[in-house]
Amino acid sequence: MFPRTSQNPRPAPRSRAGGGPRTVGSPGAPDAPGGGGPAAAPHAFPAPRVGRRAEGAWGWLFVSPMVLILGLFLVLPILMALWVSLLNWDGQSNPFSGQAEFVGLDNYRGLLTQDGLDRTLFATSLRNNLYYVLLTVPLQTILALTLALIVNQRMLRGRSALRTAFFFPSVTSSIAVSTIFLFLFQGSGAVNTVLSWIGVKGPNWFNDSRGVLSLLLGGLGIVDTSHPTGALADHSFMGLSWFEWLSGPSVAMCTIILLAVWTTSGTFMLIFLAALQDIPRELEEAAAIEGVSRFQLLRYVTLPALRPVLFLVLTLGLISTWQVFDQVYVMSQGAPGNTTLTPAFLSYSSAFNDADFGQGAAIAFILLTLILTMTAVQRFLFRERTPRARRNR
Amino acid sequence: MSAKSAAARAQGRHVLGRFPLSLRVLGYATVAALGLLYIVPFVIQLVTAFKTDPDAAAHPLGLIPTTPTTAAYQRLFGLSQDGDGVPFLRWLGNSAFVAVLVTAGRVLFDSMAGYALARLRFPGRTLLFGFVLAVMAVPMVALLIPRFLVLNTFGLFDTYTGMILPLMVDAAGIFIMKQFFESIPREVEEAARVDGAGVFRTFWSIVLPMARPALLTLTILSFQGSWNEFTHFLVATQSSQYETLTTGLARLVSGGLGGGTQYPLKLAAALLATLPVAALFFCFQRYFVQGANAGAVKE
Amino acid sequence: MPNRTAIAALVTCAAMMAATGCSSSFGSDEKTTQDTSEKQHLTVLIASSGDAETKAVKDAAAAWAKQSGNTVTVDVAKDINQQLAQSFAGHKPPDAFYVNSDQFANYAQGGSLYPYGDQIKDADDFSAQLRASFTHDGKLVCLPKDTSTLALAINDDLWKKAGLTAKDYPTTWAELKTVAARLTKGDVTGLVINGEYARVGAFMKQAGGWITNADQTKMTADSTQNTQALNYVQSLLKSGSLKYANQVDTNWGGEALGKNKAAMTIEGNWLTGGMKADYPDVKYTAVPLPAGPAGTGTLAFSQCWGVAQDSGHRAAAVDLVKYLTSSTQMMKNADAFGVMPSRTSALAEYAKKYPSAKAWADATAYAQGPVTVSGFDKVLTQFNTDLAELATGDPKKILADLQRNGEPALTTGE
Repeated sequence: MFPRTSQNPRPAPRSRAGGGPRTVGSPGAPDAPGGGGPAAAPHAFPAPRVGRRAEGAWGWLFVSPMVLILGLFLVLPILMALWVSLLNWDGQSNPFSGQAEFVGLDNYRGLLTQDGLDRTLFATSLRNNLYYVLLTVPLQTILALTLALIVNQRMLRGRSALRTAFFFPSVTSSIAVSTIFLFLFQGSGAVNTVLSWIGVKGPNWFNDSRGVLSLLLGGLGIVDTSHPTGALADHSFMGLSWFEWLSGPSVAMCTIILLAVWTTSGTFMLIFLAALQDIPRELEEAAAIEGVSRFQLLRYVTLPALRPVLFLVLTLGLISTWQVFDQVYVMSQGAPGNTTLTPAFLSYSSAFNDADFGQGAAIAFILLTLILTMTAVQRFLFRERTPRARRNR
Repeated sequence: MSAKSAAARAQGRHVLGRFPLSLRVLGYATVAALGLLYIVPFVIQLVTAFKTDPDAAAHPLGLIPTTPTTAAYQRLFGLSQDGDGVPFLRWLGNSAFVAVLVTAGRVLFDSMAGYALARLRFPGRTLLFGFVLAVMAVPMVALLIPRFLVLNTFGLFDTYTGMILPLMVDAAGIFIMKQFFESIPREVEEAARVDGAGVFRTFWSIVLPMARPALLTLTILSFQGSWNEFTHFLVATQSSQYETLTTGLARLVSGGLGGGTQYPLKLAAALLATLPVAALFFCFQRYFVQGANAGAVKE
Repeated sequence: MPNRTAIAALVTCAAMMAATGCSSSFGSDEKTTQDTSEKQHLTVLIASSGDAETKAVKDAAAAWAKQSGNTVTVDVAKDINQQLAQSFAGHKPPDAFYVNSDQFANYAQGGSLYPYGDQIKDADDFSAQLRASFTHDGKLVCLPKDTSTLALAINDDLWKKAGLTAKDYPTTWAELKTVAARLTKGDVTGLVINGEYARVGAFMKQAGGWITNADQTKMTADSTQNTQALNYVQSLLKSGSLKYANQVDTNWGGEALGKNKAAMTIEGNWLTGGMKADYPDVKYTAVPLPAGPAGTGTLAFSQCWGVAQDSGHRAAAVDLVKYLTSSTQMMKNADAFGVMPSRTSALAEYAKKYPSAKAWADATAYAQGPVTVSGFDKVLTQFNTDLAELATGDPKKILADLQRNGEPALTTGE
């Protein structure tokens, strides 16, 4: 339900209501008025008419739609998929009746340890997504911060129009935006036309599977990219040679990275902006009277104050970039040369294109574990940071 | 110039003074270029939707169609006899139908659950709130196959129920509502209860009306979310009669050969799919901003 | 309190279990009930090559509906393999649909197709090679709706402009190389093909190789013949006289030919329909593919009209398919969008009526059909991915990977 930045509903900092930049996602937000949990009881109000028991019943009644829907369409499906990930199921029989062969951990083994096509594809998808994350997260964070600093300039004219423009891509449908990018990045499309004005012959974006890192190294003459030799070619990990691991995101993947940066920077800009507006004016004025330059102000006052939010944006970015799916589905379906294949898309295509639902479910679970681990780490770290952020207020 | 900045300083404004003119011009140019970067793709989309296929291919950047045509729109709205396969009105109808129901469900159920978690004392509340937080962390992409399995088991695959029901509650919405209800002073409710109102009446006629800003935020975000929803509909349906703007457009764009690239058609469809949310966005930008800052539900 | 919590949790679980247990639509346990009413509603899913094909199928279905008193909805799939796989798993398939030969084995193996071959009295009219493609467990499962082969299509204007005549139509690999180089100039590429095994495979056949042996029990991908074929294609790619369709911003060879980006392309007879619809002014000639070291070779493709096992209207669907695969209807399709009839009798008529399509019709005699082993399409998808990189890749390694990936599929597939 949020702009696309977050494929999952995510916690985000509250800006005004709660004071300093602080994540409301910290489980339990302990100081919330009337707070969560049994601790609420001590200062509970007397309820003259409604008894405790009746209130309990009402409570369950109120949450019952949530419990039912989330239980049936979230918890239960995850358990079912966990079961299916242990089967060799082609999607055509009933997976819960014993008709499908139980294969134990074979699906996971095929992805992680057993040499073969499945592992190669999975390793490829991991590599692609890793590069996607490595490029997207820093780029979108830097861009969002820059945009926020610009829009926060009090003397800039038309900044609310700018804010609107920067934020708009975030609220539009990922499918619609991907369609636009497909058109812009055609071989003879708008982007290459612009590049040709400055004398650059643009690549055939969506059909170019060459890794940009290997292009760079090849261009410098360090590696012969068409015939990699030595350690790079001889050693491999999970069925991919070192050269393949290190060749970088393909040109095609770069367009998806650009798209992601373009669409998500708006949302993260707003998060930064809320934090920027929480920095007291007095601090800035005091610094100005001391005679510090703008750069010093940014370096020693603004950025340190943004640190918690910066960290939040980075981790949110990390979590959401592992979930890229829509853009891949629309723009490339994994092509060219599997260089835009991501684990999320591989999971989908294994199940629905190759009718190997067990394998697809297994990939989904590995991905789920990865993302949940990162989320848990994030929440743990933020729980630690919350008190300090409050002290700064 | 210096007199101006001194004056500004005296007023406590522009404490750092203004940039020198040259820097300011440069700054404005950079900012304008940056702004263009965010607007131009949509402009190109708008213009291209009025071009012919060859024109779009030959002049991808041309801001004026050489031979303006509304062929794409005619085809989308079924006005031209030029084949079909793009049942746009059906997509539009499905998207609207699903988005309205999902929004209604979310607003009701999320606020009920949010209220219970914020205010009512009942056994298992802490546990449930922990559950909501855990659910917020589950990414939709990992749910593709699981959702398909469960819809299939219940016989809901390829039905409107299967499209709508699973989306009717969302953890993030519950979280927003809980935060909001906790910010309302308890005294109001206490007064109502002293007057003899039951739990449901207190919720319905006292608390909900006070929650109007939060409800509006939730409504808008829910509508935007379900209008733009793609992955769930992708695995929940199969027949063309259930295609929404997102699944229909995605299949149109990613699929096949034949009939050339048809970019004007695709871009026109994408444009029309964006319009409702864009209209909402420009009217209620404030609420979108609040959504991006999730917890920042003001009173 | 903890006690209550536990009880509450238990109640929730029980409610969920009850809800779960109440209904299950995994229908393979019970037989699908058949609709026997007079007026039935059928859904048909096709993968259309364009508006002409969509219209032809819709018109034919409407004619049948009128005659039989039923109603039919024809849907055009954007990605038919994925849509069918999902609908089979969801047990809500369309009643009749196109089945690609490369997917046929998967569906038949999984029991998703209703075998109706024994209800077709004149099944012999379809060629043995085609029938074999759609036979599973000794039963003819579905009827081939058409057949296609590959030929070399030449843009007449560009050919003339390069100073070439009908005498120069290439008949060997060496000649192909020469004319392709000669035709490559400026924006024009001599030969443009799709970078996939369904085109490049023809060269493997011409060199005397193929992916598997004749009865599909052994992989023969890493043979020297195949290596020779890929080396040849690679040399053309490296010289720039051969490009893949997506390298010249087109989706397929026909588009490249129509947009004058390609002087030659290798496409099937569906090209005639596509060219008529999209580029009616572009003149072209279809000639047989040039022969390789081992003689002539081309590939055959077909799709069949599948009827779903889960359909509630099997009888009506089979009746519809009979109507759609009649000689008359096949000739109508040929007229509308240029496909070749799969009935031997109609094919003869077709060759007579369309002399310009002679190259395709003649090629049916020696064409190689697709690999039909369940689970093999994943292997071929990977092969396609590797072929896309052929220009810079190592043919030996590509074929070795194909061999390695294909072996497990052959052993488990059947």
